Amino acid sequence: MKKEIITKTNQVFEESFEINKNKLLPEMNIFNDLGLDSLDVVDLVVALQQKFGVKIRDDERIRNIRTLEDIYSFIFAIKNGSSSLPFKEDKQ
Amino acid sequence: MFVLFSAISIPAFTLFIAGMSLFLSHRRAMKLFRSAIRWYGIIIVKILPFPLVKIHYKDYAASDKQPSIFVANHRSASDPFLIACLPGELVQVVNTWPFRIPVLGLIARLAGYLSINEMPFEEFSRQIVKLLNQGVSIVTFPEGTRSAGKAMGQFHGSIFRIALQAKFPIVPVCITGNEKIPLKGLLRLRPGNIKVHKLSELKWEEYKDLKPFKLKNMVRDMIAAEIDIMEQDS
Repeated sequence: MKKEIITKTNQVFEESFEINKNKLLPEMNIFNDLGLDSLDVVDLVVALQQKFGVKIRDDERIRNIRTLEDIYSFIFAIKNGSSSLPFKEDKQ
Repeated sequence: MFVLFSAISIPAFTLFIAGMSLFLSHRRAMKLFRSAIRWYGIIIVKILPFPLVKIHYKDYAASDKQPSIFVANHRSASDPFLIACLPGELVQVVNTWPFRIPVLGLIARLAGYLSINEMPFEEFSRQIVKLLNQGVSIVTFPEGTRSAGKAMGQFHGSIFRIALQAKFPIVPVCITGNEKIPLKGLLRLRPGNIKVHKLSELKWEEYKDLKPFKLKNMVRDMIAAEIDIMEQDS
């Protein structure tokens, strides 16, 4: 499931923002490294909702997202109905 | 020199325009006001610091007549003055803090300068489109803040979203050599050569099919490529 989330999330960045897949590394900051701004984040949220069939627009945790890894963890938590950040915990 | 000239010229031209506005329509008075600001900028950057600071302006498409959205890189506090090199009636998009500068901030506000931080995006967009339709060009620094060095920051996409809707041309503007003129936080100018290159316009028909994210990065890449050439020539 984690792999599927990573693949689909990266597809969103490739399809919606035409960002080269080589740049889509977990540690990439979506603002400073990938160049998204606050309006792009609105587009990102819409695209993620469509891709994963989930509703995330009103989720407060979006505000804490900085890196791609944060997004993977966020989607994973949404899919599992939890508030944990499993990807980060796996690393420790 | 800057302070002395400003202390004399700003009250003088403000009184002159205020007097003229009694006899002119609001639109004509604003045009005159913005023209005066442009001349003030030209004197500040081209005449007062000469020959210590030299400005080299190059226009790749001097025949452009219609209002445009100028998009420039932002290294220094001198950028808003250097913009006076550009043709036509101009309104700049600024951060909130320039409005707080004594006298200059008030003049900027009276001239209709806009800050996206002071209004919702929809209102900002409406005001930009209104100005463009009046024949006023818009000047933006989409990095949002001065880099104070040679690195260029990421672009904010608001103005590119508006351009896609408003259907006006985008004109990239490249500024180099002024990263220390003046140093960030200081007013004192240092000697140097500043280059301002206005590139050919990107017509709406050329970019209308791009997404805002792609468009902003394309314009950023165009500016970065020209800056590379400008700095190699220095």
